[in-house]
Amino acid sequence: MNAAMKITALLVLKAAPETTDPVILANASDVSHFGYFQRSSVKEFVVFVGRTVASRTPPSQRQSVQHEEYKVHAYNRNGLCAVGFMDDHYPVRSAFSLLNQVIDEYQKSFGETWRSAKEDSAQPWPYLADALTKFQDPAEADKLLKIQRELDETKIIIHKTIDSVLARGEKLDSLVEKSSDLSMASQMFYKQAKKTNSCCTIL
Amino acid sequence: MQARHGQSSYRDRTDEFFGIVESRRRSIAPAAENNVPYGGGGRRREDPRSAAANQSEFSKRASLIGLAIHQTSQKLSKLAQLAKRSSVFDDPTREIQELTVVIKQEISGLNGALLDLQAVRNSHNDESNISRDTTTHSATVVDDLKNRLMDTTKEFKDVLTLRTENMKIQEDRMKFFSKISSKESANPFVRQRPLASKPSPSQPAPLPWANGSSSSSSQIVPRQGEAESSPLLQQSQQQQQHMVPLQDTYMQSRAEALHNVESTIHELGNIFTQLATMVSQQGEIAIRIDQNMEDTLANVEGAQTQLARYLNSISSNRWLMIKIFFVLIAFLMVFLFFVA
Repeated sequence: MNAAMKITALLVLKAAPETTDPVILANASDVSHFGYFQRSSVKEFVVFVGRTVASRTPPSQRQSVQHEEYKVHAYNRNGLCAVGFMDDHYPVRSAFSLLNQVIDEYQKSFGETWRSAKEDSAQPWPYLADALTKFQDPAEADKLLKIQRELDETKIIIHKTIDSVLARGEKLDSLVEKSSDLSMASQMFYKQAKKTNSCCTIL
Repeated sequence: MQARHGQSSYRDRTDEFFGIVESRRRSIAPAAENNVPYGGGGRRREDPRSAAANQSEFSKRASLIGLAIHQTSQKLSKLAQLAKRSSVFDDPTREIQELTVVIKQEISGLNGALLDLQAVRNSHNDESNISRDTTTHSATVVDDLKNRLMDTTKEFKDVLTLRTENMKIQEDRMKFFSKISSKESANPFVRQRPLASKPSPSQPAPLPWANGSSSSSSQIVPRQGEAESSPLLQQSQQQQQHMVPLQDTYMQSRAEALHNVESTIHELGNIFTQLATMVSQQGEIAIRIDQNMEDTLANVEGAQTQLARYLNSISSNRWLMIKIFFVLIAFLMVFLFFVA
């Protein structure tokens, strides 16, 4: 399997095409694998890069940008933009399905209130933090990937089953031969017994 | 190439022409000779003339074929020029394809005509007695025409391969161009290698700060602030261009994943069906085994009954007594007969 695929941060922004500065609506980042002194700078970097990418993503478009060792995926849907910072191993499709889910969830929980936001909101959104930890494994985010994985496992199990059924078939074949031999032998036995019994005169 | 073909065709034509003239002269001469000895042999007279007629028909056909081959080779050279000329823009694809089709038809037609010619020559050789020279001449002519047709076909094939190579190069070039434009807009921050082939006015502006920003993330923030506005416009334009392919890529990858899932499920269904078949077959085998065992049981039980009866018959003394009685009676009889 691939080496640990990681999501470093997830952002939800409001990308207004008129202003050049998107407004951050929610932010969740996992900077645990950076050194303590780098964490704040990495957070700043995440915020800034997220803003830039969101401002450059046209509405109802998806975009992937390669930045140093991260891939930044952005999905803009009618002004609401979700940005994700993943490493190179994370499959692109799962990333975008994850962003889809994030946006759907945001719209469900916050409705249209985000359209009026003018400043970066500082409240953490627990769903985003949960999503960050839950979706470190891309299979969780991407149903297709999950289904594919389960199907592969099922296929392996079925192959094993077929192997054991073939072995069973072989054993059944040997059994049937032995049982037919046995039935022959018992028939001979019966005939012999009848012969010695019926032919009477004993001397 | 064209001149050479023309030259070779002219040269061969001359030989053919001389050959025809000679054969005609020869056929007319024996015709004249035949007329004198056999006065009423009208048939004989017709024979060499028919031979001459056949010969001229053969040569007419051969000349027609040679002319057609020459025309085909001319068209082929034109096609080769067109294929060589191909550039990224202004691609005469349709003309090339039309020419290709026409040339292919001509070549196949020529092939058929050449085969007919050969058949005709063979039939003429069989029915009338032509001199040996004419047979060798006609054989040489046919062989020469065949060789030329083969050369033309080979050149046609070369031109087609050249054309496919060019098309592949064009495709690579186009992909390279589109990749370059996508790379420029996909790396708005860093790592822009100097792309010499694609001239872009925004190149010098991003480069200085791009090289500098590869060091650490903290330096990116102030640098990007100053150089951001200039590449923004161009990159947004280029982003529009490659955004559609990205959407396509995303959709395509989703479609591909769905296809994979569907085919996997299909395979699984197949495997399940096979499994069911195997298990049902084995079920039959199991039933057979069961029957065998029942037969064995019946046989053994019957044998056991027999043996039990046998045991009874052995262990019971009735027969023994009767036998002893008979033996005694027999002994008594013998005794009575012999003694009394």
